[in-house]
Amino acid sequence: MPIDTLPAFAYNVDIVAEMLGAFEQAVLLAVWKLADDAYGRGVLRGVQSALDREVAAGAVYATLDRLEQKNLIASRLEEGTPVRGGRVRRYYRVTAAGVKALNESKAALEQMWRGARWPLESNA
Amino acid sequence: MTRQAPPRWLQRALVFLLAPRDRETVAGDLLEEYREEQAPRLGTLRANLWYLRQSVSFLSIRSAGGPPVKAALTWVSVATAGAGIWLAVMENILKHAGYGVRTAVAAAIVAEALGTLLFLVLDSRPVFRLIVLAGAAALGALGISAIARNVSGPHFEGFVLIVGCLLVAQAVMTFAVVLRAHYPKAV
Repeated sequence: MPIDTLPAFAYNVDIVAEMLGAFEQAVLLAVWKLADDAYGRGVLRGVQSALDREVAAGAVYATLDRLEQKNLIASRLEEGTPVRGGRVRRYYRVTAAGVKALNESKAALEQMWRGARWPLESNA
Repeated sequence: MTRQAPPRWLQRALVFLLAPRDRETVAGDLLEEYREEQAPRLGTLRANLWYLRQSVSFLSIRSAGGPPVKAALTWVSVATAGAGIWLAVMENILKHAGYGVRTAVAAAIVAEALGTLLFLVLDSRPVFRLIVLAGAAALGALGISAIARNVSGPHFEGFVLIVGCLLVAQAVMTFAVVLRAHYPKAV
């Protein structure tokens, strides 16, 4: 069912806006899109591609840590490859709570914009 | 694929800035990106600058855990170190009379700025704390002197005023952060 046909209360839209910031959404969505390939480097590139600008790695990893503390993503370690000097990779996956948070964020945004014609024009 | 790698000191600096949990994973991710994407596309020098920028981004994350003044002091110290390096380079290019002394002063400014950064990321020992405080006092005096001489002198130089203000700001913030760490309830 398309998300905009669901009633707003299905997503607790009043709570969601406080749950996920825009950058958190970008990181969470990048992890979700990468599915089984979601390790740090891929997520960094995914966020840069989505935002169409260079993004500081520190910001992405700090966000990943925060999302993990909120239980919106989970991580596991896997063996490294020679190109990374054998250092282990940390793979991320979006949890059920993370998927719910993303859906709720999208619903909240769409509800907020309902009735406004885009692009906005000055009404001053 | 390339076997190129960022300078070893830079890799060590990155590891130093990372939380123990992230040391292998993040350093591996950035090395992989460096070798597979940045170095082949940008060349060694620009790839090293990319690696440096990414490493510095962890410095702000590391310092963000403290009070706002600690985060501000981190950036002021980086700016002060940059100003000191700039002064030393310019003195050695222009070689006006007395440039040797001024180069030594610039080197001392850089040393104090780097010492402050080390203090911010390490658990400091009392001796180190005293050295940083003494250096901050000297920087503050130097900054006030530079501002006063610049304002009252015949030639006003904006760069000197900015550097003077930076030195004073660094001195004040260093005292605030160090004393706060030592006497948390008093400051």
